[in-house]
Amino acid sequence: MSDLLLRQRAHARPAEAPAEPAVLVPPRAAHAVRRAGRLAVAVGLRSVAVVAFLLLWEVAPRIGLVDPVFLPPLSEVLATTRDLAASGQLGEHVRASLVRAGSGFGIAVVAAIPLGLLIGWYRTVSTVLSPILEAFRNTAALALLPVFVLVLGIGETSKIALVAFASFFPILLNTISGVRTVDPLLVRSARSLGLSPLRLFQKVILPSAVPTIFTGLRMAGAASVLVLVAAEMIGAQAGLGYLINAAQLNFQIPEMYAGILTISVIGIVVNYVLLAAERRFSRWRA
Amino acid sequence: MSQPKLRLREVRKEFAHRGDTFVALADATLDVRPGELLAVVGPSGCGKSTLLDLLGGLTTPSSGEILLDGRPVTGPGLDRGIVFQQYALLPWRTAQGNVELGLEAKGLPRAERRETARRFLDLVGLGGFADRYPHELSGGMKQRVAIARSLAFEPDVLLMDEPFAALDAQTRESLQDELLRIWRATGATIVFITHGIDEAVYLGQRVAVMTSRPGRIKAVVDVDLDVSAPDVRSTDAFGAYRHRIWSLLQDEVVRAQQHELAPREDLAHV
Repeated sequence: MSDLLLRQRAHARPAEAPAEPAVLVPPRAAHAVRRAGRLAVAVGLRSVAVVAFLLLWEVAPRIGLVDPVFLPPLSEVLATTRDLAASGQLGEHVRASLVRAGSGFGIAVVAAIPLGLLIGWYRTVSTVLSPILEAFRNTAALALLPVFVLVLGIGETSKIALVAFASFFPILLNTISGVRTVDPLLVRSARSLGLSPLRLFQKVILPSAVPTIFTGLRMAGAASVLVLVAAEMIGAQAGLGYLINAAQLNFQIPEMYAGILTISVIGIVVNYVLLAAERRFSRWRA
Repeated sequence: MSQPKLRLREVRKEFAHRGDTFVALADATLDVRPGELLAVVGPSGCGKSTLLDLLGGLTTPSSGEILLDGRPVTGPGLDRGIVFQQYALLPWRTAQGNVELGLEAKGLPRAERRETARRFLDLVGLGGFADRYPHELSGGMKQRVAIARSLAFEPDVLLMDEPFAALDAQTRESLQDELLRIWRATGATIVFITHGIDEAVYLGQRVAVMTSRPGRIKAVVDVDLDVSAPDVRSTDAFGAYRHRIWSLLQDEVVRAQQHELAPREDLAHV
């Protein structure tokens, strides 16, 4: 999380748009063909490393580069994943994990965005709350897991609370930065129209902060899956973290990898969904 | 003469800066007549922007008063519209949405907002670009949108802060003509702040010349030109006005440069 502030800076909008972009319509057909070509090359290039990795995973155990007991070939892991899915076990674990991650994430969103707006906008609120938030932010979420378990028990509450805690800060910090990096000229211009502070907030500050807030949501999405799996490894009867840990303890190695693969896919999907939402809400960005 | 639309009476604006007081504007006195296009020209850093903030109600004078139709200006309001040099369009709104902003502030119902915004986009020649986002528009088009936005809520006075300074020469000239056309079509009272002498002479019925810091109104020059004549900028009459204002400004420019070279203790004017 240490490079968070840097990333936020990079996210700030350039103050000046290019002076006179030509508003011309390019010849559509030729353009489309060239675009398709470029897209194919891009997709190809982007897939190379992933395909190579998957191939290595398949081949290495088979030719004895690694012990197939500890790292079964990809095809075997996929077969186990399919069996787990067919038996409904995998679905149950996924559901348990997603409900926890979703609840924690939801709580974080509901708490962090309004608080971030307040801190970003009101200097005094910021002065009062920043030190304590800074202290919490720099406390690794997992370090607090024992505390959460101690206070909230080993059930769902402690896991959801931990996810909420871990998701809270990326959203909060990005919301603050989103509010603070609003173009002052836009504020001046809106003020000159005599907009009330509330309308100013609604019509200028909030829409302007949305893209930055989404960056926070994306980071929080990743964080929520991360800490949830760790929490489920420590005490749970269901969930992907539990599946991975239990499989390892029972020496069901393909099942363990099936769990890991599922987590990874979920992480990618979550990121993609949030990215798509971010694009959808930031279309006005050049 | 009828009552002035906008009247500045010995307006003074001071800023505190690191314990010092820095005078941006000193006893500026000026009357703006109803329906006139008054250009204000001055050397850089003469307090033009401060003047505009005061007129817009974004800041309040340290002393003196500003009267709009005889009533003191106490804050921002829809009786004045500001056009900024950097357009200040909301990037997440289309041209139409941007023009509607002021109408929302005015509390107009949706259908009426849409219709009014359309009308004013047509007025500035952007009827076909209502659905474009600012990043899809050229600088000149953005400034047209900004002008439409400020005209749409029908302010008593339009305040323009070097609105064409960021544009290339050709776009600037065409927008100047456009502004004159709009001004005649709407009968708006316009205060046009610029640092360009040619622009001031071309646009202004009168040109107010400011001194370098602390800003004062040094002189007000009546400009009687038929700007519809072809290439009026090359005529002798234009040249004469130009020279007169240039002479008035010359001393101030020299003084302003001395200011610039002096140790920077005056950053507060921004």
